[in-house]
Amino acid sequence: MASKGKILLVDDDPDIRDSLRIVLEGNGYTVQAAGNGREALAALEAQVPDLMLLDIMMATDTEGFDLAFELKNQPKFENLPIIILTSFLGKVREEGPEQYQHIMGEQWPAKWLFEKPVDTKKLLAKIQGILGGG
Amino acid sequence: MTDTSKGPEPADRPQQFNEQKRFLLDEVTKGSRWFIRLRWWVPPSIGAGTAGTRLLGVEFAAKPILLVAAFILAYNIACYVWDRRARKDRERQREIIQGITYLQVGLDYFAMFLLIHFTGGTGSPFLFFFVFHIIFASALLPPGAAYGFAAIAAGGMVLIAAGEYLGWIHHYPVIFRGDALNLEDQSYRDIKSALVIPQLSFFAASMFIAAFVMSPIMRLLRKRIADLARFSETLTRLNKELNALFSLIQAIGSSHRLDQVLDTVTLELSLVLRGKGISVKLLSQDGKLLRYAALHGLPSEFLNNKAAEVARSPLNRRVIEGEPYVTGRVTVGEMYQFGEELTAALIKSVLFVPLTVEDRVIGILGAYCIHQDRFHDEDVDFFRLAAGLVAIAIDNARAYEAIENLVKDRSWFMMRVAHNLRAPLAAMISVLEVLRDGYQGELNEAQSESLRRLDRRARDMLAIINGLMTLAEKRNGTQVIKRVPINLNSLAGRLYRTFEEEANGKGLTFKCSAPQDLPEIQGDTAMIEQMLENLVSNAIKYTPSGGRVELTCSLGDSNTCRIEISDTGIGIPKEARSNLFKEFFRADNAKAVEELGTGLGLTIVKEIVDKHGGHILVESEEGLGTVFAVHLPISSKKGVS
Repeated sequence: MASKGKILLVDDDPDIRDSLRIVLEGNGYTVQAAGNGREALAALEAQVPDLMLLDIMMATDTEGFDLAFELKNQPKFENLPIIILTSFLGKVREEGPEQYQHIMGEQWPAKWLFEKPVDTKKLLAKIQGILGGG
Repeated sequence: MTDTSKGPEPADRPQQFNEQKRFLLDEVTKGSRWFIRLRWWVPPSIGAGTAGTRLLGVEFAAKPILLVAAFILAYNIACYVWDRRARKDRERQREIIQGITYLQVGLDYFAMFLLIHFTGGTGSPFLFFFVFHIIFASALLPPGAAYGFAAIAAGGMVLIAAGEYLGWIHHYPVIFRGDALNLEDQSYRDIKSALVIPQLSFFAASMFIAAFVMSPIMRLLRKRIADLARFSETLTRLNKELNALFSLIQAIGSSHRLDQVLDTVTLELSLVLRGKGISVKLLSQDGKLLRYAALHGLPSEFLNNKAAEVARSPLNRRVIEGEPYVTGRVTVGEMYQFGEELTAALIKSVLFVPLTVEDRVIGILGAYCIHQDRFHDEDVDFFRLAAGLVAIAIDNARAYEAIENLVKDRSWFMMRVAHNLRAPLAAMISVLEVLRDGYQGELNEAQSESLRRLDRRARDMLAIINGLMTLAEKRNGTQVIKRVPINLNSLAGRLYRTFEEEANGKGLTFKCSAPQDLPEIQGDTAMIEQMLENLVSNAIKYTPSGGRVELTCSLGDSNTCRIEISDTGIGIPKEARSNLFKEFFRADNAKAVEELGTGLGLTIVKEIVDKHGGHILVESEEGLGTVFAVHLPISSKKGVS
């Protein structure tokens, strides 16, 4: 069965990584997982995914943001869709670092932000919407 | 403050003379105009006088006299034109006008002599008029000029007398009824006649006495004028300084940010002191280093200077120990203390005062000027006052900054605590979901049920953590409330969209509305939204299928808006009313409907209402329904607190 798409999953929590991987692979996506920013960059260099799921607070408070910011500055990853995962929806909405507002485009902080624990049905629908179209 | 009522110190003399001269030239300028205006009356008066006396039958040389009148008119016009022109030439105005004044007096004298000559010479009654010029001269021209004019008058008359006697000039008698109107006995030809010489002598004497008498009077008057002008200047200056101090106070009160305060302070002070520059140097915590914190009017490279060591700079040390430092001519040695940059800026005068708060010196306030001797006692006094204010402002801003940092740190800490509590729960729920959704194999009913329970407890715990974090933030005061005007109409719309699905799913009639013209309330958008979400969520949760949940907004009393959330749900039992807003409290009938709940929802609602200065009312009938009414103050003006 052909893969519906390649997803890079970045989260420092192994349980979250494994659970999401099971769900995503069970729904036909190819998943690669990374546990921190460094691993994520390595994976990105090796192969550009179709979509990235990115946790914000990992080893450092803004590691996720830093990574996304760095990526958006590189033309290779300019069009890479990024879905932010956070245990902290309210805070991120209110106090998301201003310099990172632009990584979400005008859609900050609406659709592309998911609060943990993730509602997998909604997440799958979102990914389908982003990748399904083409 | 300097005592301005004392006499001038000897060292101030040159300054005082210049001052007086300046004030008096101002007076001369005005006087010259007045002279010209007065003189317009003279030719017509002469004309009328001539006609009148002729009518009375007096015989005299009318034509020449009328010519003199015309001559006076002519030169008055000329002086008028020059005066107008001179006023336009701002720079040389004073010299030109003074010249015109001398010219006027000179011409007047000439005209006088002519008149006297044509009305009987030494016997002319017009002799008395010379006194006017003495008076004018002593009032408007420098001291000594009056004597000069007295001399001219006396000398001129002697010349006329001699001329008539020697026959150089014609004698024009004034004849009335056959008698020459002479002050002497037609014996002008006879020099030995006793009356000419004494007459002239008395005339000369009277001129000099007039000058002599006017001089002290005028000197006194001049001194008073100068004093008055000086007081007026001082008053203006003090007023300006007061205004500056007031602006300083206002500026200080309007901002808590250190950099803004410093900018405002240096700007205001430089406006008042009109010097080249103002600087603020601040002492480090240990008191060892002094660094530039703000500048105005000096090159900004100064700010990059490395900090000066207080121990190595005796000048700075002196100021820090409390003594202001003023110099009007910065010597090369002192320059070195300030550094090459100041030398390059050509500073000649400096003024340093310490910045002190409650006996603590926190830095140095400095003023610089490229002119020598710029700063005097009154400047030092004013600067010390200003320094007092500036020091308080800096201290204030620093304290505020410290608090802000503290708040930020605590806020950040809370967030990380929450994150660390929530992450494991989120992970648990994720793993549970994988199991429950069958990704790892089919489940039987018992397994499903057990997992469902696990999931619920985990989510419940998550909800409790969220609620506690919210409460903790509010109660610790680590939360900064942003007060902005909130439009209830759009808020109602948002709430509707948020809960529409859930309400419809339960088969409830659900409405959220607010009239378009309702005034905006003042508050923190996120908090108000959360508060209303809690209330609506509760209403939906505790209203059985087929019921109704409604949110309406209206104008409340005493300048508030009233937001009402009503439902046809299970209601609140009377016994539960007193504990309704307590943490973790849940009424029994609520527990029957929903086994699990945080019991924090209404606690948070109350916190938010209190924080916004509003109040909340509850009306309920068990089994029939509940109405929560929240009153929130109306936004009185736009803007943030």
